[in-house]
Amino acid sequence: MTAPLVFQEVPVGGKGGQPLTLEVAARETVALLGDEDSGVGQLGGYALGLDRPPHGRALVFGTEILGLPEGERLAFRRRVGYLPAGDALLQNLSLRDNVALPLRFGSAATTREIEGRVNVMLAAVRVAAVAGARPARANEEECRRAAFARAMAFDPALLILEQPFDGLTARVAAELLEFARGGESAEGARRAILITGQELPGLLLPRLERVYRVSRAGALEMETV
Amino acid sequence: MTDPLTRLGGSVARRLSRLGALARFGFGACRSLGSLPAAGRAVALRVTLNQIRFTAGQAVWLIVLLSGILSFLVISQAVRELGRLGAADLIGTLMVVVIVRELGPLITALVIAGRSGTAIASELATNRVMGEVRALEAMGIDPRQYLVLPRLGGCFVSVFVLLVVFDIVAILAGFAAASFNGMTGARYAEIVLQSLAARDVWLTIAKALAFGLIVGLVPSWFGLSVRRASTEIPIAASRATVSAIVGIFLCAALFG
Repeated sequence: MTAPLVFQEVPVGGKGGQPLTLEVAARETVALLGDEDSGVGQLGGYALGLDRPPHGRALVFGTEILGLPEGERLAFRRRVGYLPAGDALLQNLSLRDNVALPLRFGSAATTREIEGRVNVMLAAVRVAAVAGARPARANEEECRRAAFARAMAFDPALLILEQPFDGLTARVAAELLEFARGGESAEGARRAILITGQELPGLLLPRLERVYRVSRAGALEMETV
Repeated sequence: MTDPLTRLGGSVARRLSRLGALARFGFGACRSLGSLPAAGRAVALRVTLNQIRFTAGQAVWLIVLLSGILSFLVISQAVRELGRLGAADLIGTLMVVVIVRELGPLITALVIAGRSGTAIASELATNRVMGEVRALEAMGIDPRQYLVLPRLGGCFVSVFVLLVVFDIVAILAGFAAASFNGMTGARYAEIVLQSLAARDVWLTIAKALAFGLIVGLVPSWFGLSVRRASTEIPIAASRATVSAIVGIFLCAALFG
């Protein structure tokens, strides 16, 4: 079975850094940590075909998104949930409309079906009470919760999360990670997840299958979970 | 050192290349309309209406003021000066050709380019800098569908509506000016209607559409051309407005 996410010889760690080869298997949660200039924050962009890596390639469900024609590229990205660093919620939309936006533009669902799905997502991340507020009127935690709901609007099998827990308490981070994993079965979580960032709360580590850290020298070191 | 001819050629080639990129951008935006799902169309329509409210609704009094003053002054002077030469009938031509057909579309488009063009470029540039455009692309949403199409549609409709307002106010203000200077209302109406031909109406409509395209497209393109720094936002807004104004004048010259 093809792994949901594969990086082949993609550079991290700036100049002199080692090329990264990494596979995130189905139902696996993998974290890749490093300093801000380590380059781990660019991996999401490489995977989704938003940026072109200097060399190497990123495969999502066996496909290099960057190589697809424009229309197919957009459609393919809907198979991946993406939480960019800093949320990137649209400031002129309410939290509810932010969550609904990908469904409205990327699915053939009716307005009623979309509303139903959005209500479920907002309740699941516990922001239904402030869903009518715009991001500027909501606090950081509420915005992050809404961004998680938006990333999972299409119920993707793969999630890429950039600095997802920065500024959150360990308890909230653990709650959101459980939501992102989508429940547990004998085989593991429902989704494959790649988390990139600088640090993770210790409380989350037991929930991760693997944690890597890019050292200052650009080497990839596996941390014991 | 490169010779002046090579430099000139390079500059012209760069400008033509930019024009080509703008045309591709506009064509891509229009083509993306075909792939909008029903729920997306409803959102795009809501954004378009909001754009019309901002572009046309909030600028209507400015257009009324400019049109009224311009027409009143021109017709007052014309009735007095042309009347002295016994050529008062020419105010019909003056009203139709100069005000309704030429200055009406030009002033309306310039007002919208200055007012809304700047706002559109700044807004889209801010969307880009804040990572919102990248987030849209990552979610599989074509930014042209959500950001560009509604603004383009809004500007199309707004230029057209404001132009109709401009022309109606201009004709009414001309009527007031003519009456004020001793010409009867019936005579004024007769002269203006005699000068008005179907060609004038079609030319005015064609200009409204062309200027609407420029005012909607050019600022959107400049806004989305920004890369990462917030310092690029005012530069993009300024370039968008200047380019739109130049485009409007060039287009008006082509119509002439």
